[in-house]
Amino acid sequence: MDETDTPADTAAEQAVVSSVKISRSFALPGAVFCVTEGDEQSQLYFGSSDFGIYRIDSDAEKPAPEPVSDSRHESYVTGLVRSGDTLVSGSYDGSLIWWDAESGDVRHRVQSAHEKWIRRLAISPDGSTVASVGDDMKTRVWNAKTADAIATWGGYELTTPHGYPSMLYAVAFSADGKWLATGNRTGKVIVRDSATGRVEATLEAPVMYTWDPKARRHSIGGIRSLAFSSDSQLLAVGGMGLVGNIDHLGGASRIEVFDWQSGKQRYEIEDTKLKGLVEQLKFGPDDEWLVAAGGDNGGFVSVYDGAEGTLLAQEKAPMHVFDFQLSDDGSKLRAVGFERASVVEIA
Amino acid sequence: MSEPAEFQHRRRIQRDLSRRGFLTTTAAGATAMAADMGQINALQSAAVTQQLKQQGTRVILLWLAGGASQFETWDPKPGAKTGGPFSAIPTSANGVHISELLPELARRMQHTAIIRSLNTKVADHGGGASLMETGRLRDPGLDFPDLGAVVARELGRLDSSVPDYVSLYTSTEGRRKGTSGILGARYAPMFLSDNMIPLNLAQLDAVSTVDHKDRAALRDVFAKQFSKHRNNAAVDSHMSAYQRVRGLMASEQLFNVENEPADVRARYGPTQFGEQCLIARRLCEAGVPFVKVARAWWDSHGQNFETHQELCADLDHSMSVLLDDLNERGLLENTLVLTLGEFGRTPRINASLGRDHFANAWSCSLSGYGVRGGVAYGKTDAEGNTVVDGEASSADLFATVLQALGIDHEHEYMVGSRPIPMADFGASPIDEVLA
Repeated sequence: MDETDTPADTAAEQAVVSSVKISRSFALPGAVFCVTEGDEQSQLYFGSSDFGIYRIDSDAEKPAPEPVSDSRHESYVTGLVRSGDTLVSGSYDGSLIWWDAESGDVRHRVQSAHEKWIRRLAISPDGSTVASVGDDMKTRVWNAKTADAIATWGGYELTTPHGYPSMLYAVAFSADGKWLATGNRTGKVIVRDSATGRVEATLEAPVMYTWDPKARRHSIGGIRSLAFSSDSQLLAVGGMGLVGNIDHLGGASRIEVFDWQSGKQRYEIEDTKLKGLVEQLKFGPDDEWLVAAGGDNGGFVSVYDGAEGTLLAQEKAPMHVFDFQLSDDGSKLRAVGFERASVVEIA
Repeated sequence: MSEPAEFQHRRRIQRDLSRRGFLTTTAAGATAMAADMGQINALQSAAVTQQLKQQGTRVILLWLAGGASQFETWDPKPGAKTGGPFSAIPTSANGVHISELLPELARRMQHTAIIRSLNTKVADHGGGASLMETGRLRDPGLDFPDLGAVVARELGRLDSSVPDYVSLYTSTEGRRKGTSGILGARYAPMFLSDNMIPLNLAQLDAVSTVDHKDRAALRDVFAKQFSKHRNNAAVDSHMSAYQRVRGLMASEQLFNVENEPADVRARYGPTQFGEQCLIARRLCEAGVPFVKVARAWWDSHGQNFETHQELCADLDHSMSVLLDDLNERGLLENTLVLTLGEFGRTPRINASLGRDHFANAWSCSLSGYGVRGGVAYGKTDAEGNTVVDGEASSADLFATVLQALGIDHEHEYMVGSRPIPMADFGASPIDEVLA
């Protein structure tokens, strides 16, 4: 290390990522909150604010969304996962639907899977179980094929400390499927044994929640994304830092990375250059880097060093990003968001 | 939507009779009513409440500061591109649906009329608030009073020992004190911001209650001797001012919700807005004609749906309990409860999942006294972009509120030689929402 180098310089020199570049963008119908891949990584399925599920070839010359089915949810589609030829979607209408990914036929429908909005779904790495979280503050586990309910777990308060309805936004499995993490509006993370539901750790990230007691008297924020490292040792928690004017998503994009089994925070990232909510997070191959995406009225894709959190590369996105899929080799990120999708090259 | 002229005429006569009856009763009973506010808890008895019911009309304005979304409250558009994620739910009024975020108010829709067709055009906070508070655009040459001051002037009693107009606005964003304008300081609001109990009303610690009463009695003796042979308005005014100050000092207890039974306080809930709604009920019960409770801040440029999940939950619970409480005490038939803000919010949902300012097609509500409950007046198009039926201006709304209270909206204040109508020129009350 040269004596004049800063740690950030050194991290950048050693990093396997030095650029993030948007190679193409195209229009989507409505706000698109969730995306999952087909058999080909370029084939995407997504759920929209128009209540529908679509497929699209992101490598096509002119990508054109095609409805998977004539059937729809009754509100925004906010969670979508795939297990083989089955898609499972969740919605603010509280229902889960199992679809034939090819024909669009509805295989199963659980009308009241949650008593309030479903915020996100996650699928276990082996594709056998689906986890859903909703504003009834419940985590529910389902058989990915049969739609049978397997477990229901609580652990969260229904209301915030200030007496208002709370929300349970985020859920993620570990790479080995052994652990399941969830995160709520006030910054509480629970990590469970995904088979038994036993609580293994409880973490707090209270900065993700801004309560304004004086000027506006309501709140904003919450944990919006979670990601385990591939060795399951680290858990990244995404959201937004404290906000001055809570009329807008004006807080720094914020990530806290925990050695979750010890409960110690490894590092935190407050990025004030491109602000807003971190809506989705993933560790890259070998956990050398961590990619985050989200936004305010605009959007961002940012890559950080996985060990220290140093910014490696960053790009504005043409839309607020709500979700993305990362290719197996980490070279390509397919992001969806507010009325648009983008393909992002990571190099 | 218009009703037969004969019916309208009959209703106006009934209102006029009611107004005259109110004035007669007030003249006879006002001095006795709430003269000693230290006995406020006695007002909770059914007999006293019945007496109050016969004496006056009151208004509680729930000011949704920052601009609540009509889509997430009174004019839902489920399934429309602009409709957002919430569904519409049926209400106790046949055929009227409102947002699922207001389930408790939906069950009480028989008390409430909704106006869905406000087109007030002004979509900046200051201008919109001024417009909706006064019912007219700003006139550089005329400081027009806001609704609270007009109601205080028209429904308050000269010899009242309680405030005529109380305004609670605790949050700092968008805070406005209100104005009595040309009506003068007599009708300006008692404005409470940081503390819910008014400052400088309390008796000095150095003066005991006995001393305080003795001093007042001595002053009364001298004052009566002085005024015995003087039929003079100035002397009467001086006497009235002392009486009023004494009442205001005693009214401190009105603002203290700890004087309420624990179960009543629990019913209103833990939020500040709930507590302030309880204070509003106490003030109305004691004869305050106009109480404004501001609930800030609905300006949801980002995360509109989360913001409304929080704020609508607060509004739904607090207002529902308020309506129930007023109703159980027999006061709802004398109390008009309004929800209003400076404007609504855009049909377009922005990238932050927010809605921006919008004044071209939005909603408000009127509940209780003078209102035909269970009515949804006016209509917006399928996506809520424009009013397609029953367009109403701020002046029309102002006229409607005054008419509901039995006040002639065409009555004029004289500013020098310039006649100024209470509701702006061209205003027309919306008879369809009036009882």
